[in-house]
Amino acid sequence: MIPLLTYPLALFALTTLPALAAIYILRNRFRRRTVSSLLLWRFQVQSKAGGAKFHRLQLPLLFLLELLALALLVAAAAGPQWKLPQSARPLIVILDDSFSMRAISGGVSARTRAESFLQHLLSAQPPPSTRFILAGARARSLEASAGISPPINDLLQQWHCWSADTAIDAAITLAAELGRNQANILILTDHKPPAENFSSNRIEWRAFGEAVDNFAIVNASRTTFGDQDRCLLEVANFSGRAGEEARSVRLTVQAGTDTPQNSILSIGPGERQRVVFNLPASAPVLRAALDAAAGSDGLDVDNQVQLLPPIRKRVRVQLALADENLRTLANRTLDATGLRAAISSDPQILIHDGATAATNPADGDCWNLHWIGSGGANAFVSPFIIDTSHPLGRGVALQGAVWAGATAANTSGDVPVILAGNTPLLSVREDAPGRRLLTLNFNPELSTLQDTPDWPVLFWNLLQWRSAEMRGLNDSNVRLGAEANLKTAGQGVNITQPDGTTRSFPKTGGELALETPMPGIYSVMMGAARSQFSVNPLSADESDLSSCVSGHWGAWGETTEVRLEETSAVWIFGLLALVMLSAHLFLLAGGKGGR
Amino acid sequence: MDSTLQQALRDGERLGARYALQVPQVAAGGWTGSRAGRRSGSSIDFQDYREYQPGDDLRFIDWGIYARSDRLNVKLFREEVTPHLDLILDGSRSMNLEKTAKATAAAQLAGLLATAAANAQCTHAVWVSGEGFQRLPNDTLPPSAWEKLELNSRRTPEQSYEILPPKFRRLGVRVFVSDLLWAGNPQAILRRLREGAAELFVVQLLAREDAEPPGHGNIRVTDSETGEETEIYIDSAVARNYAENLARWQQSWSDACRQCGAHMTTLIAEDLENSLSELQAVQLLAPA
Repeated sequence: MIPLLTYPLALFALTTLPALAAIYILRNRFRRRTVSSLLLWRFQVQSKAGGAKFHRLQLPLLFLLELLALALLVAAAAGPQWKLPQSARPLIVILDDSFSMRAISGGVSARTRAESFLQHLLSAQPPPSTRFILAGARARSLEASAGISPPINDLLQQWHCWSADTAIDAAITLAAELGRNQANILILTDHKPPAENFSSNRIEWRAFGEAVDNFAIVNASRTTFGDQDRCLLEVANFSGRAGEEARSVRLTVQAGTDTPQNSILSIGPGERQRVVFNLPASAPVLRAALDAAAGSDGLDVDNQVQLLPPIRKRVRVQLALADENLRTLANRTLDATGLRAAISSDPQILIHDGATAATNPADGDCWNLHWIGSGGANAFVSPFIIDTSHPLGRGVALQGAVWAGATAANTSGDVPVILAGNTPLLSVREDAPGRRLLTLNFNPELSTLQDTPDWPVLFWNLLQWRSAEMRGLNDSNVRLGAEANLKTAGQGVNITQPDGTTRSFPKTGGELALETPMPGIYSVMMGAARSQFSVNPLSADESDLSSCVSGHWGAWGETTEVRLEETSAVWIFGLLALVMLSAHLFLLAGGKGGR
Repeated sequence: MDSTLQQALRDGERLGARYALQVPQVAAGGWTGSRAGRRSGSSIDFQDYREYQPGDDLRFIDWGIYARSDRLNVKLFREEVTPHLDLILDGSRSMNLEKTAKATAAAQLAGLLATAAANAQCTHAVWVSGEGFQRLPNDTLPPSAWEKLELNSRRTPEQSYEILPPKFRRLGVRVFVSDLLWAGNPQAILRRLREGAAELFVVQLLAREDAEPPGHGNIRVTDSETGEETEIYIDSAVARNYAENLARWQQSWSDACRQCGAHMTTLIAEDLENSLSELQAVQLLAPA
């Protein structure tokens, strides 16, 4: 294996070697001297330079070190390159980004073990190119910005393992598309593949997980409950095996200075336990944490959640109903929802009966509900056709209800939500500015609907839908990996993530679906308004580490698929020269050089 | 003979003109000569009377005493003798060490001692070690007339003595000039040299290189007599060891000399003229 020299002219510097040798030989040659007798020289002291061959020259060790260092430096300057076997195929690495990769076993996380293996693999047999695909909730390729290929370590820094799910199948599909079935695919995860035999010989699956015990908060919510907030925490014990004794874990809940919960939960293996409690609506962010015994909790990230107070959106409703009965019924029903605002000026929903319909300002965002409550009515009984996927139709059953309404033709553009035969009872239309125009064909005098639970449900759906379409965040607590929806008026939005990084959206299209790549509290600046939402790692599948394994499945092609690639060996010579010079310095400092 | 040595002999003769050999009393014997001996002899210097004994020369009976006292007494006169110097030169190659003044200094010292002996009315003989001890041709003449003084023998004086010992004159003064740098027992040769001698002087003549080792560095040293070589790295420790070895070796010779009743002194060849006071100190020379 003859090295190729990048700068062969540097070999001219080898002429310094005989020069150095000449200096030493001339300096250390023996002076001849004839003495009267050797009688006085017999005291067993010989020249300090040892070695049979070099005894004649009496060259000290320092000379050899200098000679070697000089030769190595010249060799390094010549830029030698060796042809080393390298993989002929590009490599696509799929990185499991789920937070179960953070599980600690033996003091080392699965991610660390996987990264060590990857670094070793890349250094031992570097492929011609390497791409990374992050398998989080979605498969995402780690690309270099502006076409510049960053170092592998920079790419690996994006491997945070904060996802609540791992889309490895999607990642394999993406890798196969990117590699056009020619690239080797390496999967680094903590669990075994669904099928141990792969159809392709380009896939190698390596798992670095360990089945360790774990306690986790798998569900957490904080919702409005009248004037209070209702909190739910669900703690799961993924420790041990079925049949073993229950284990204890301390659950501590803090909301500001208050500690509404501080209890020890005894949970059997594989079981869950819910804790429900109320908080004042004014309570700040709630922080819940689990404290398990050492050795029974392999994952820290799922031991704590932060729950912000739920967003209380009230809808301003203005009634423009001439019929007293209708107005009374509407008022009573709206009040029952708990979502109606106390004031009705600048309404967000205008309910009218047509006769006294208020003009809807063209530049406002007020929705119109046209209530057709009189006229030639027909009473309808089931079956009704209900679009349960529509926000207005959710939870509406209309079992046994009598719905009376005018027989009216459907207005062009209206989308029926509830039909009785071909008679639309509730329909929706959207005008050009995006406002919703609803038509309620309902005569309470001939109906029993207002006496059934479906009636308040219908109005609750209306106000809930309207509040969901109001600007701002829809929810203040989001699961890790889920999107946080933000309604905007088109203005710019700045998001500050828990790690301090900021993302800016200079112009938005009215609705933003914000990614939640890591747990913590996110800040949203929308114009002058500031709001927050909390992201919590709540995933029972990821917290359950019992299925984590270490192993190796599948293998890439044959070993013959390697090619010789020229690899610079300058560093080897430079390193050896450094060693020689260090030894030289050591000998000089210690006076052992035989000078 | 090397012209350099010839010149050195002449220089020694010139130097020796200022000195005379100090002849000890015990050496006042030997052949009839011009120096007063320690016994009665036939000189004209009256010494004493004693009673006549049968066999005495009748010519020395003092007839005046016989006439006055009727007793036969003979007159005794001081004996006149010629003391002798046996000069023994180490003829080994180490005395002709290259790039040193050792050989010329040895020749100078020999010429000086021979001339000083002549100044002291002494005869002298010069013995050079080699394949046995040999007399130098014309050694009884002044040094400038000596021939074949060569210092190139591979034999040590001790070995030369075994091959052919010198025939020294009894009760003569013997001066042994050598660097004394050979392995052996000093007493072995000293006893032989001392035997029958009135006095034995051992003059160790060293080159400055012998007294002081070379400076630091690698050196390949060659024995001038055996040709044996060894390679040594000289540093301060080695130099110190060499000096200790030399001092120990000189001490062993000095001890042997003391046991044999000989006198020993050391001269540096390169500094011979300034070192002659050492020879006066051991009472070998005295100003003429």
